[in-house]
Parts: sequence; C-alpha cells; structure tokens
Amino acid sequence: MSDVLTSSPALEARGLVRRFGRTVAVSDLSLSIAPGELYGLVGPDGAGKTTALRLLVGLLTPDGGEARVAGAVSHAAGGALRASLGYMPQQYSLYGDLSIDENLRFFGDLFGLSSTNFRERVAHLLGITQLTRFRDRRADALSGGMYKKLALACALLHRPRALVLDEPTNGVDPVSRRELWELLYTLVDEGLAVLLATPYMDEAARCHRVGLLQGGRLIAEDAPAALVRAFEDLAYFVTAADRDAAEAALHDLPGVRALSPHGPGLRVIVAAADAEAFRRRFASADMRWHLEPTAPDFEDVFLMRSIDAE
Amino acid sequence: MLPDATETRPIEGVGAFVLRLRGLILKELRQTFRDKRMIGLLMIAPMIQLLVLGHAVNLDVDHVPTLLADEDRTAESRAYLDGLTAGDAFRRVGVVDSAQVALSEVSAGRVPLAVVVPRGFAADLGAQRPTRVQVLVDGGDSNRAIVAQNAVATYTLRRSQALIAARGLPAGAALAPVRIETRVFYNPSMNSRIYFVPGVAATLLLVVTLVVTAMGLAREKESGTLEQILVTPLGGATLFLGKTLPYALIGLIDLGLVLGVGTWVFSVPLRGPLGVVFFAGGLYLMTLLGVGLLIGALARTQQQALVAAFFLIMPAILLSGFATPVENMPTWLEPVTRLNPVRPFVEVMRGVLLRGAGARDLAPQLVTLAGMGLVVFSGAAAVLRRRLG
Ligand SMILES: Nc1ncnc2c1ncn2[C@@H]1O[C@H](COP(=O)(O)OP(=O)(O)O)[C@@H](O)[C@H]1O
Ligand SMILES: [Mg+2]
Repeated sequence: MSDVLTSSPALEARGLVRRFGRTVAVSDLSLSIAPGELYGLVGPDGAGKTTALRLLVGLLTPDGGEARVAGAVSHAAGGALRASLGYMPQQYSLYGDLSIDENLRFFGDLFGLSSTNFRERVAHLLGITQLTRFRDRRADALSGGMYKKLALACALLHRPRALVLDEPTNGVDPVSRRELWELLYTLVDEGLAVLLATPYMDEAARCHRVGLLQGGRLIAEDAPAALVRAFEDLAYFVTAADRDAAEAALHDLPGVRALSPHGPGLRVIVAAADAEAFRRRFASADMRWHLEPTAPDFEDVFLMRSIDAE
Repeated sequence: MLPDATETRPIEGVGAFVLRLRGLILKELRQTFRDKRMIGLLMIAPMIQLLVLGHAVNLDVDHVPTLLADEDRTAESRAYLDGLTAGDAFRRVGVVDSAQVALSEVSAGRVPLAVVVPRGFAADLGAQRPTRVQVLVDGGDSNRAIVAQNAVATYTLRRSQALIAARGLPAGAALAPVRIETRVFYNPSMNSRIYFVPGVAATLLLVVTLVVTAMGLAREKESGTLEQILVTPLGGATLFLGKTLPYALIGLIDLGLVLGVGTWVFSVPLRGPLGVVFFAGGLYLMTLLGVGLLIGALARTQQQALVAAFFLIMPAILLSGFATPVENMPTWLEPVTRLNPVRPFVEVMRGVLLRGAGARDLAPQLVTLAGMGLVVFSGAAAVLRRRLG
C-alpha cells in the first residue's frame, strides 16, 4: 500500500466538473500536487476556488471527473484517506465557545490520537504557532490571526500528508500573515503537500506553482516566475494625479490592452508589436503625464490571461 | 522553530470508536452546560412549566356555585337536590321554583351552573317511568362545564342505582355512559392534576429534546463546524450517536426531575415499577431524537430547524390525547394519532403511576414505542449518512 501512496501525487484532480443548478462552478479542472510542493489556486471571488477545494477533500461529489488524495478517490473517502488529509475551510469552522485546548482535544479525539501522542502534538503545534500562552482562551475571543493559527493546528494534529487551505490569510493582520507563511514553508520543507486558495496575487507569487482559475476553468498553470517570463506584452507606469482623465486619454491609444489604477497613477499593458506606435502617439499627443516602462509582475500576468481567456 | 519529531499513529478499531464517541459527547455536554440559555431550556424551563401548568390547569370541580330550581317541590326532588350539594363539588347558592328563572340567571352569567328538577319528577319515579333532570351550564369555561356536567351525571347515576337497588329491581337500561365511571375509578378524588402530570412530562420531553437536537445539528452547519468534522475520519454512525446520547441522558434526567416534582408538589402516586417508566422514556426519546436529527439534517439554518420542530410539536401535543381525549377526535384523525409517540408514552406513565401497571400490562404501548423508536432512529441515521456523509 505504501508503494501506491508514495508513487502517486498527494492531491490530484482529473477533469473535475461541478454544477450548482445552472452555475458551472468548476469546469474540467485537472491538477496534481506532489509531496513537498506548495500550490496556489488563484482567482477572484466566485472563480470556483472553494468548490474545487471541497471537491478535492471529498465534501462535494463531482458531477464529472475525479478527485484523489494520496491515490484514493475523495468522495468515496474512508477513514484512511481522511487521516492523511488536513483541511482548513474559508469560513470559521471551530467551536467559538470552546477554548483552544478544548478544540484541540476534540479534534484529537476525532482523529483517534492516543493521549501521549496528543500531548506531544499539541505541545509542538502550540509552540510553532505561539499559542501556548492562550490555551485557555475561547476561540471566539482570539484575533483573526490567532484563530487561523489554531485552525491550522487543528488541521495538522494528525500529521496529514496533504494540507488544503481555503484563503488562510483572510482577515489576518500583516504580521500574523508573515508568520503563517513562514510556518507553511517549514511544513512544505518537511514534505507536506499544500494546496491553498487565495484571491491575492502577492500571495500566489510566493507559491512553488500556481493555477489561475477563472469562471471555474484553469486558464494557466506554472511557477509564478515562469508565468511572468512568458508574459508577451509590455508594462508601463503612468504617473497621474487625475487618474480618470489619464485613463480616458490613454484608452484609445494604439496597442493599449489594459489599464488599471495603481498607487499614484495607472498601469498600462501594451501589446509588444504596437509598443513603438504607442510610445510615438503618447509623445505626440501632448500628454501632460509621465510615462515609464516597468517590469511586468504576476498581477499583470493574471489580468492579461483573464482577458485572453474571455 | 522546534523540531517536529513525534510519530503519529492513530488508534484504530473499537478503541478509535470509543475515543471519538467520548470526544463528541464531552464536547456536546461542555457546550451545553457552558450556555446558560441551554441550561435554562433543558433543566429549569421544564420544572417551571410543570409547576405553572400544573397549577393553572385545574379540571377539578370544586365548590362550583350552583343554583337549584325545584319545580316539583316534593320530598323526592328535595332529597335529590340535597344529595347533590352535600359533597364538596357543588355549592348551593339558592333555590328557585322555576326553570325560567334558572335559565336567565345562567345566561346572564350570574351563576355558572343550575340544576332543574321538572314538575312530575316524583310522579314519574312512583310510576317507574324514566324521568329527567335538566342541567344548565355556562360553557365559557368549557373544561369546568364538561366536568361539572359529568359530575352531575355521575351523581344522578349513583342515585338511580340506589333507587333501583332499594326497590329490588334488576339494573335498568337507562344508565349513564360507562366512560364517566372509568375515569372516576382511576382518579377517585377527581384530582385532575394527578392525571395531568404524566401528559406534561411527555410533552416537555418532546419539546426539549426535539428542539435541542434539531438546533444543535443546524448550528454546526450554520457555523461551519460540520464541514470541519466531516473531513475527519469520523463515521456517520459515530456522529449520530455522539449527537443523540448526550441528549438522551439529559432527557432521562429531565424525566426524573419531572417525576420528582410531580410526586413532591402534586402528590402524584408512584404505584408501579419506575423502571418501566424510564425504559419507555428511553424508547420514546429514541423517536424524538431521531426526528430531531432528521430535522437538523434537512434544515439549512437554526431558524428553519426551530420552525420545523414546532410544526411537528404542536400537532403531536394536540393529538396525543393528553388534554383532549382521542375518542373525541374526528375519525379521520385516528390513523394520525397512532403515529404519535406521545400517546403511548402518556399511557405508559399513567398506567404505571396511577394504576400500578407493570411491563406486562403495558406491553402493547411498549412495543409501539420500541417499533417507532427503531424505525425513526435507523431512518434518521440513514438520512444523516446520505446527506452528510
Ligand atoms: N452551495 C452552493 N450552492 C449554489 N451555488 C454555489 C454553491 N457554492 C458555490 N456556488 C457558486 O459557484 C460559484 C463558485 O463559487 P466558489 O467556489 O465559492 O468560488 P470562490 O471560492 O472562488 O469565491 C459561484 O458562482 C457560487 O455562487
Ligand atoms: Mg471561496
């Protein structure tokens, strides 16, 4: 059995389809995550991230295709599969009226940990999440960051091989967010396979590999750096205090594919073939704004891939 | 960062089942006893309701003000009326000589009850013809009206029997209905509270356990915790037991408390084996908890669960025969009342407490309760597994 487990991916989706009434929430989704890999599923709200994750962990039955955890089909999940899987839902999912200790105790019992084993795991997990001091505090009295750390600890109690996280940093302050990420890297280094869903591009850029999800479809998938390298357009930054006026003026220039507000100005994506014409027209049209080339980033990649996909 | 050297080997088999069940039960009890509202709902409200309802609902006829109308004015009519007001049930407020006056007094609401002995009463009796006595009742307080009417009828029946016996004649056909007699037989002092407490106990268990289990499961859904539980290796059967056993325990404790209050405060007798009451209570709870979980599994929110629970509770109480006799309901409702677990449980309690009946006497009710319990319980387990598993 261990041969089968080690040779198969930790998490796998093959042609997954899931509908809710007329909405196709996930459409022909395939992906595969290896042990020790950190995979980010990125997309805006409603893209189908949560549905994809719930299909993978076996909470939903697919209308088509198949999801597997360590080689076993998710929705037919037996206890063995669930013992190798940790899942942290998007919304609150622990008992607010129970303390940190009581929540851990409860999930420890459900996972069938012996008391020695449980004590060791709790000591370790509370240590790495720095929650030891708050053991007696009720979960609903924790800050967003501490709550997510507790949820992570609960999902890790039984030493899963695969961890599935739905927007783990949602509602978390920047410091805790950084701590959570450090924790994730450590876990991945220890060989855990991690799949996380996020709407944030900066977070996606920190994953080993990302899948861009839009309207339930995977529109691109690769390492973030590779996706940026493969970016074919050019990116410019226009400094403009009056952004609306600048946007209106730039909108019709040749080669302009996308305009998005950014800090003190606009980010402009221009098709490489039209870059010459764009720069010439910008100069001749007597624009009062300052234009400078800038390095394309992951956000530009996602934006353009989405436009291309439509 | 601390090194993570622990090796995790989960317990399996029966050990894991016990561990999981213990975890669920402890969690459930912790949450319940930490929530003041829950303690109120589960432990205190039933006591208060029993006390209030027990005192408020009074089906006894006790010193009912009664106007006597004697149109016959004979020794026989006087003896009849004197006998009627000799006991505690009726209090004589006056004697008039026409039915007309009595009627206007009752219709005006000045007196709740009048008993009229018409002219010819003594003559009929002398000639051994059937005769009549008229009872005028203010129906505004319907319970009292019915009971007062029955009491007059019972008294009249006794008197007729005495008359028949005195004349050495065989019992005639003009006897009052037998059902009055049965009721008086088991509750000779006509103390309706004693009769009432078992019904209250059954309905309180119904409300408490149904609402709490239905809401409990719906709350896990609403707050997202169910999602987290369902990705653990917990089986559907374990979840089901973990969600019912704690409340079965609380339900049985409630039953004990209600019986305690019944005996101390309302002097309900405990004539039969208490074990039978608790055994029946366990079977009854299986049905209630099963229905509760079924509602919880189907409802999306706690609100929905609450509405659905009351939607079932109301008819269950009304059709239980606990306040209105089942015999008085329309016949088309008869099959519905047979599906009601409250009815056999009330019958078991009344049987054991008031009549001293044992398991053998109550076997039909116990079998009904067990059948309902098994069907509902296993049905709910199957639905839960399908919906959530
Ligand atoms: N339980 C559900 N019932 C009906 N529609 C749903 C349900 N869950 C998700 N959807 C729909 O599926 C689509 C994808 O939703 P979701 O997976 O939650 O996206 P994301 O997590 O990326 O925001 C949305 O259109 C959403 O409305
Ligand atoms: Mg989501």
